[in-house]
Amino acid sequence: MKRIGKPIFFIVAAFIFVFTTLAFTGLHTTYGDKTTTYVKGAGDIRWGIDIRGGVDVTFTPSEGIDATEEQMNAATETLKQRMVSLNITDYEVYTDVQKDRIIVRFPWKEGEESFDPEAAIAELGETALLTFRKGAETDEEGVPTGEVLFEGGHVNKAEALYGPVTDGGSNEYFVSLELDDEAAKIFADATGSMVGTSDTISIWMDNTMVSNATVNAAITDGKAIITSGGSFTREDVEGLANKINAGNLPFKLETETYSTITPTLGQGALAAMTLAGVIAFVLICVFMIVMYRVQGIIISIALLGQVGGMIAAISGFIPGINSFTMTIPGIAGIILAIGMGVDANVITAERIKEELRNGKSIDGAVNAGFERGFTAIFDGNITNVIVAVILMGAFGSSDNFFAQILSPVFGFFGFATEGSVFSFGYTLLVGVVLNFVFGVLATRLMTKSLSRFKWFRKPALYGGGLAK
Amino acid sequence: MNLKSFDFLGIKKYTLTASAILMGLIIACALIFGVLLNVQFSGGTIVTYTYTGTIDEAAVKEAAETALQKSVSVNTKKGVNNLDSFEIVLNEKEGISADAQGKLTDEITKTFADNDVKLLSNSTVDPIIGMEFFAKSLVAIALAAVLIVIYVAFRFKRISGWSSGVMALMALLHDAIVVFGVFVIFRIPLDFNFVAVILTILGYSINDTIIIYDRMRENQRLYSDLSRTVLVNRSIGETLSRTINTTLTTIAAIAVICVVAVVCHVESILSFAFPLLIGMISGTYSTIFVACPLWTIWQDHKAKRSPKKAFAKSAR
Repeated sequence: MKRIGKPIFFIVAAFIFVFTTLAFTGLHTTYGDKTTTYVKGAGDIRWGIDIRGGVDVTFTPSEGIDATEEQMNAATETLKQRMVSLNITDYEVYTDVQKDRIIVRFPWKEGEESFDPEAAIAELGETALLTFRKGAETDEEGVPTGEVLFEGGHVNKAEALYGPVTDGGSNEYFVSLELDDEAAKIFADATGSMVGTSDTISIWMDNTMVSNATVNAAITDGKAIITSGGSFTREDVEGLANKINAGNLPFKLETETYSTITPTLGQGALAAMTLAGVIAFVLICVFMIVMYRVQGIIISIALLGQVGGMIAAISGFIPGINSFTMTIPGIAGIILAIGMGVDANVITAERIKEELRNGKSIDGAVNAGFERGFTAIFDGNITNVIVAVILMGAFGSSDNFFAQILSPVFGFFGFATEGSVFSFGYTLLVGVVLNFVFGVLATRLMTKSLSRFKWFRKPALYGGGLAK
Repeated sequence: MNLKSFDFLGIKKYTLTASAILMGLIIACALIFGVLLNVQFSGGTIVTYTYTGTIDEAAVKEAAETALQKSVSVNTKKGVNNLDSFEIVLNEKEGISADAQGKLTDEITKTFADNDVKLLSNSTVDPIIGMEFFAKSLVAIALAAVLIVIYVAFRFKRISGWSSGVMALMALLHDAIVVFGVFVIFRIPLDFNFVAVILTILGYSINDTIIIYDRMRENQRLYSDLSRTVLVNRSIGETLSRTINTTLTTIAAIAVICVVAVVCHVESILSFAFPLLIGMISGTYSTIFVACPLWTIWQDHKAKRSPKKAFAKSAR
């Protein structure tokens, strides 16, 4: 076996301390008001809605409608646009084309006291079938009866603007529309025949009239505006333009499945979890040091590195690995992984003790301990990889690698993404990798290096002389 | 008495009987008292509000039924997460629209204006989606279990792979039932946390079993003339200090989480950490007192039927 140099212990230990500190604090610089984040720390972890509160909604087309793939995708786009217009940017959207479901998740808005999740959900799912009609007549139930000229899908772009709508007129808020060729032609014909009459062209959002105007001149360039004679506010026109832009939904989206969690519920849990984590970690270190002496100190350092690695993997510390949404089951995955890390170290330490009792020298015992302990650690961890991979395949979004492999099994269920269980799989998988890096490699390097110092060559320091 | 040379298999009659009785009791409890499913699985609607002062359940029920036009039941909870709250549960297993839920919130906050009522959480799930997710979770757990058995069978060929895998699975089943029992007996509704706990225990327990199997594999290679009972007892004994130390450490850590959850009144963590704690204890127990004895019995049985095929001192 290759001999490990004496300085290795200090190098590995120093690396772990620096790495873990960085993983917790991150690296930020503040210049004036602007904070630049070079490396993300524990503070940048994105907590799932089960911890920090938020909304989780599954939208489905109203009953009896079998939407096509294009329609589902259009609906998804619509939802995204509407979320942006509601000022919700930190959202996740998953579309299940087969089962006609769109899953939307967004956190409670920061510092928002009066956020009304029900109103937001209702607004997101609103139908927005936009029609341009001749006349503004309705039947008794308020359903418009005028001849439909064209639908909202023919509007290329709607924009909220502020300025004069007639030459020399006063400034006002209005919406400008750009029509596609087909609609432009229809619009030109219709307006051409209506100039000078008292007939109107009206615009309807479902059964709500948003505009009704007489025709002053034939409009042939496919550009139209919606004005109110000065009574529109900025919010009005922005909302209207958004609705028209997003308003190509051919069906209503219904919400039979959704949950909202307010931040009050989550924050208590997070604080308690952090406190428990710190106490549990200290307790584990004390246990290790009492039982395994010098080896216990090494184990504590390695476990520290493992916790740091865990934080790094979920906060987006490592370039190329995106930050990850952390949920309560995700924390369970960390607990299991850390438990496995403790176990890997205990297996090795016990093995070293055992070999010492059998009369081996320090070097021989250390070597044998790591070598013979490894098969058990390896097999135990690989079984956890199996669990992790299945979870990531079953509950991840359908385009991830594991989901593709497992699609013959889980394809049947539709993909009903459950982010919280997915994160259990993710943290467990990362934890297993870290087990090999810290629990096996780092401990081995540190132990072998330290065991070359004269002061550390007493079996009792490894708990060797203690147990019967 | 030296624990390491204790005859673990010698008490297998008692331990296996005890486990069988426990399994029977848990299943009986589940059948008698029923299994609670969280709306995440069963479908349905639960809306929870926090309030201050005192509130009359019947009045809440009346206000909610007026707003929703549906029959509901109301439970108040004291001091969960340091807040007093009441939950409104729809009696029919169905979801409600966001509109309806908005109306409910308006009605409740209006009726109980003096109680500072605030929405705490809401969960409404379409029964079809709920059951689908539940089924998917069970399939995921089953598939994980099957793959684990295959992996164990492959890696532990030396100690009769398939029976090792199947007996490890029996131990896993034992632990899963124990965890299930905790949910049933403490009336905790099964939810995503249940799935997470089961999976954690699966990973923890199989690891435990593998550690002992690993030692059996090694001892078999070193001393191929050991009898089955001696081999198993010796392997359990040699790994015993590891078993005890790891178990103590991890259980102490989870116990800390439980205590903090109780002290801080965080019900959501307790309903997760407590079953985990019991499951871990079961996981350690089942390895030594379920998987290993069953493996031995199975091998003895095989030896009787066809001595050649059985894994025994003459094997190899």
